[in-house]
Amino acid sequence: MGVRATLARWAAAAPVPTFVVAGFGAREAAQDLWLDPRIVLVAAPRQASVLLLAGDVPEPLLQAAIRAHDVMPAPRAVVAWRTSHRAVTERFPTVAVAEGPQPAEALVAVHRALRTGDQTSTPPILADVDPAPWRGEGPYGQGGSGMTGGVPYGRPMATREDDRDGLTLDALPVPVGPLFAGFPDGLSARITFKGDLVHRFELQPNPFAADPQADRDDPFVRALADPVPIAELEVARARELLRACARTLHLQGLDALAVRAIALAGRAGPGEAAAVRRLGRWVTARWCTAVQLRRVGRIEPAALDGLGVGPVARAAGLAEDVRTDDPAYRHLGFTALTQQGNDAAARLAQRFDEAVQALELAGRADGLRAGGNGAVEGPRGRLTADGSPTARLLELVPELVTGREWGDATAALASLDLDLREAASRSADVAADPL
Amino acid sequence: MTGQGVHPMVAVTLIGGLLTVGVYIVAVLDATLRALVAGHPLQVGSVLTGPIRRAALLATTASGDTERPDAQGWALAPALLAGLAAVALATVPLTPQVSVADPSTGFVVFSAAIAFVMIAVFLHGWSPNSPWPLHGAYRYGAQALAFQIPFLLAMLATTLPAESLQIGEIVRAQEPLWNVVRQPLGLPLYLVVGVGVSFWGPLNLPDAADLAGGTTAESSGVGALLWQVARAAMLVAVAAMGAAAFLGGWWGPWLPAPVWMALKTLVLLAALVASRHLIARVRLERFVVICWVVLIPLALVNVFVAGAWLL
Repeated sequence: MGVRATLARWAAAAPVPTFVVAGFGAREAAQDLWLDPRIVLVAAPRQASVLLLAGDVPEPLLQAAIRAHDVMPAPRAVVAWRTSHRAVTERFPTVAVAEGPQPAEALVAVHRALRTGDQTSTPPILADVDPAPWRGEGPYGQGGSGMTGGVPYGRPMATREDDRDGLTLDALPVPVGPLFAGFPDGLSARITFKGDLVHRFELQPNPFAADPQADRDDPFVRALADPVPIAELEVARARELLRACARTLHLQGLDALAVRAIALAGRAGPGEAAAVRRLGRWVTARWCTAVQLRRVGRIEPAALDGLGVGPVARAAGLAEDVRTDDPAYRHLGFTALTQQGNDAAARLAQRFDEAVQALELAGRADGLRAGGNGAVEGPRGRLTADGSPTARLLELVPELVTGREWGDATAALASLDLDLREAASRSADVAADPL
Repeated sequence: MTGQGVHPMVAVTLIGGLLTVGVYIVAVLDATLRALVAGHPLQVGSVLTGPIRRAALLATTASGDTERPDAQGWALAPALLAGLAAVALATVPLTPQVSVADPSTGFVVFSAAIAFVMIAVFLHGWSPNSPWPLHGAYRYGAQALAFQIPFLLAMLATTLPAESLQIGEIVRAQEPLWNVVRQPLGLPLYLVVGVGVSFWGPLNLPDAADLAGGTTAESSGVGALLWQVARAAMLVAVAAMGAAAFLGGWWGPWLPAPVWMALKTLVLLAALVASRHLIARVRLERFVVICWVVLIPLALVNVFVAGAWLL
């Protein structure tokens, strides 16, 4: 008993392994949890003891969250923060609701209660049954014909299939997402792997489109209808760009540098331009990320031309920017920065350069306003009432990742900085809802 | 102490103690470097107690249970990796007088332990019966096949000046001049692939973030704890062997022999651990190509230069 109590006390003081499902309005707050030393965000639900539902989680993500919850090891708990209360409590019978601007306090409190025994572990929500019955067909009872090719328990087995280079390799179909940590939030796809290669990539519907929410707090969205101070727009842009850089760094295994970028995003202001430039130089150095990300995620510049995909296009040498046509920005002497690399390394460097530029613009904007004419240069590209850069980039995704190694495919996706919430909120259907 | 060794119980205690201390140091170094790179204030108390708290957390968490796992293999993998780390560390002489096991074939024993790491990692990825761990397991297969040859060639060059496969002799032969000077290519080659053997930082391909943790994606509880401990233990063994084979082991002025050995191991350990926070994950394909096209020829040049030195 003594040993167990001591262990429980130590465990209660450990950082809370948290698996986050971030809905609408929680993208930044979820990322900010990296800054809190009392929390550790884990990549797989199996490594978590608390499931955090943050923001308005749409139905398809809630369904995925239920499955994630059931594989979490005991003792486990669920915390909801700024969720639609009814939808969550219907599915998670014992959920702790976090109040306040940050969910961290509630996560720590629930974790402590779990470890000291003040709170019991949540029971499984789904029945523990096989996804499909065992069919017992075939010579080995694998549920299909031949040695391979069956779907025992509904799980597809690796099958032999001709490869693009004429070799016959095992092709393994795997559904990935929408809670896969290596993907942008909510992205889900049916992927056929051949070894480490993506043989086939079928994008699945955007889960956020099931229940799109207006994003009126976003300064770029407000700038579609009314002029907004340039200083506000540019600081918001710098923050978003730094957050995108942090996501790339995190995926490349550089968690500590990602934390540095997120912290800088949190306090970004005109005075931080030099700090952002220093971090950019460090991170994009050859030995740090540049060699690893070079030639990863290349897109034909012709495919990007006129697409309005912001830093991705400018990293390919296309000087496309809505701001160049804006008189207020022209007054500030704005010119679009470009790179020639057209790969994940160039996009990382481009985002750091643009973050520095944005903070410098914010510093001398001096009350100038921009926007109000229906098109805005957002942090990912040209934003309109019914069109988002994410939606346009998503169409390029299958071709971008097919035939690539998995590490390159995920790095390429991260380099596009997709925000599926934005794609859902800015789709033609939602735009009918007047701002 | 040629081939004499110590009493088996003493050996087990010594290796267990050294690995425990080493693993703890890895965790503390990692937390310290993470705080420095992240720009967090360094809280000494929490850095020192953090590893214990995290270990207690995992120890009191239930183990994973996937659909029809290979339970024995899953339990065996961390034990195998830790055992291999212990075997590898056992061949490293600690002082001129004390070595746990310094057989005349020490180099071969160490190499065998390193080669078997691939089995442990593959087993750890195969057993959960789940896509991401399996994916990580296959990745490590490709990675390990590519780096083991330059790793062993880099080590092999150190046996030439000693004219012996015994690690104790390799250290003794460095009294006039350390191998890091005599074979300047050796230590960098050894460290690059040493990171790969421990699948750490830039060469952590099997347990990478793009596989949601890879072979560890389905691990929790004691199994996950043991895997982390075993991986850190392998890092310690690699650093200790690097100190013995390239940095002159216990040789050094003023300080007693074991202190020199500990200091050199600590320096290498810090370098290995730091790579995780400073260098992004290397692409598998490029790493394999670099191993075959650059590192193996370099390692061969290193062997030839070491041989020419003796003539």
